[in-house]
Amino acid sequence: MAQANPYEVIAVEIYEIIEESPTIRTLRVKPEKPIPFKTGQFIELTIPNIGEGPFTPSSSHSISDKMDITIMKTGFVTEYIHKTKVGDRIGIRGPYGTHYPIDEWRGKDVLIMGGGVGMAPTRSLFTSLLHDIDNYNSITFLAGARTPNDMIYKQHIQGWREIDKVNFLRSVDRVPEVEEWSEEVCLITKLLDKININPKDNPVVVCGPPIMMKFGTLDLLKYGYAEKDIYLSMEKKMYCGIGHCRHCVIGKYYACKDGPVFTYDKILNEENIWE
Amino acid sequence: MIVKAEDFISFLIKYQKESLGGFQQVIVPGKLKNVETDQQLFTEISDKTDVVLDSYRTIDPLRALFYFSRETLLPADKAKKRLIVGAKGCDMAAFQVLDKALINEDFIDPVYQAWREQTTIISTDCTEIGDSCHCVLVKGKPYTDQNYDMNLSAINGNYLITVGSKKGEELLKIMKDTISLAQPHGNEKETIKKNRKAIEEKLKQQNSKYIRSEEYGNLRKSDIEGWIEDSKQCIGCGGCTNICPTCYCIIIDDETTGKEFVKVRSYDSCQLHGYAKVAGGDSPRPKMYQRFRNRYLCKFDYMKSNFDLIGCTGCGRCIDVCAGEIEFREVVQKNMQLPKVQE
Repeated sequence: MAQANPYEVIAVEIYEIIEESPTIRTLRVKPEKPIPFKTGQFIELTIPNIGEGPFTPSSSHSISDKMDITIMKTGFVTEYIHKTKVGDRIGIRGPYGTHYPIDEWRGKDVLIMGGGVGMAPTRSLFTSLLHDIDNYNSITFLAGARTPNDMIYKQHIQGWREIDKVNFLRSVDRVPEVEEWSEEVCLITKLLDKININPKDNPVVVCGPPIMMKFGTLDLLKYGYAEKDIYLSMEKKMYCGIGHCRHCVIGKYYACKDGPVFTYDKILNEENIWE
Repeated sequence: MIVKAEDFISFLIKYQKESLGGFQQVIVPGKLKNVETDQQLFTEISDKTDVVLDSYRTIDPLRALFYFSRETLLPADKAKKRLIVGAKGCDMAAFQVLDKALINEDFIDPVYQAWREQTTIISTDCTEIGDSCHCVLVKGKPYTDQNYDMNLSAINGNYLITVGSKKGEELLKIMKDTISLAQPHGNEKETIKKNRKAIEEKLKQQNSKYIRSEEYGNLRKSDIEGWIEDSKQCIGCGGCTNICPTCYCIIIDDETTGKEFVKVRSYDSCQLHGYAKVAGGDSPRPKMYQRFRNRYLCKFDYMKSNFDLIGCTGCGRCIDVCAGEIEFREVVQKNMQLPKVQE
């Protein structure tokens, strides 16, 4: 059933800001009324009188009275998002789009690949799975970033690694002289060589920059994952979020309504999906 | 029922002046003053309006009166109760696309819906054709046989009235109280049928050289080199999408200054460079030929998948408006015919 006004905005207050990296920060917000969502869905975040942009929450979907949103400074609106302060009142509309079907994944080995700020939606997925971890066979998280300083969620890694059934690997593309790193130095896709892969009927989620999504997907196919088991977070220009503005179309699909979570088999015949 | 053309126009003026039936506005196709053209623009009626109810479609698409270039979605703009007269088949057909796109089971555009609900539409048969008119190439007709509130068919200085909805019935009631209507003689329907057929034949003749198959899926298989060639004349101005009766791409701006959030939508165009560009600079269609091709694929392929309708009603406005003098029909036909290329 269609909502009365799909553009209705819920005011939220920023109660904490975590600077994750030189270009990425997490806003922790308290909405005026709960915003229930399913992990993988996105919201439109409003900076009053500046604009809005689509972001996927990075917190678990089991929490609706608070929300974490991890955002990279990369354009006009995000520039302003990086100027917000604790106590600022901003807005959220949504959630919109499809989610990761985690109920269908019970009993399975779940593999997650998150690159750069692509770790944000996958952190939401990961923590949502953790909430219900007894029902999953295992969770493997492969995290990648360009340099150690670009790696986000550093403060959580220790805790996550202590959880049974969780295998958490990280890699960086390179280590500048002034930075320190004791984990893998390679492209995130190379981490696939370092884990036990059980591709049969198990889901894998890929979220990151387009080039990583593309080569990650191609590698996963080589490892034997089925096209239907590869879940991609297709972030396009989701302007309206409701299938009315057409900016995000991938051929016949709307990234905002039919996605942003797509299985690879659904979109592989559409054009320019990685751009 | 039959109404005299001049009586009907005076009725419309009276209607506007006296707000009969609670209508706040009557809009008609009006002749442009001091401009050499046989075309009309939709305009609010007054004593001075040179009303042209027949002829062929207006310069501006009817869509623009239901989906304005700039409207506030939050808090949603209110719609006026109004009467629009002189809508043609191509513009009426566009509502099938727009209604599916903007009033669907998932989400409703509140302002578009309000205009749809608040407007009564009187369609009129085309009695002339424009050079770019080609509804017959997309299974359209130069008259409306569905989804109208009331339709008028010109016949010897009179109009035959056909009512198509409850809104139309209510309007007819007001007309009966206000002007004299006559009973038809009985042979009018035959004559109108003949007139409609004659216009259709004219259109078919005019468009015979652009006839194509309906295998629109072929468009995406057509050679990229051909698209590059076709798009060379395109300057990427977006005029074609802005004047299209079915285009509805918009941007959403936030104009919040106080406590209440304010969202405003304005037209956008897939022909513009920044259209699909995301933060950080990536774009699925950075080149002009890609954006040019996208419009054709959107109309004939993507919209077909989305709505089971094609997004072209054959009005030909994109041909008239094009600064690069691109012949839309020729591009479609040509790219439908090219040999299939291995993907």
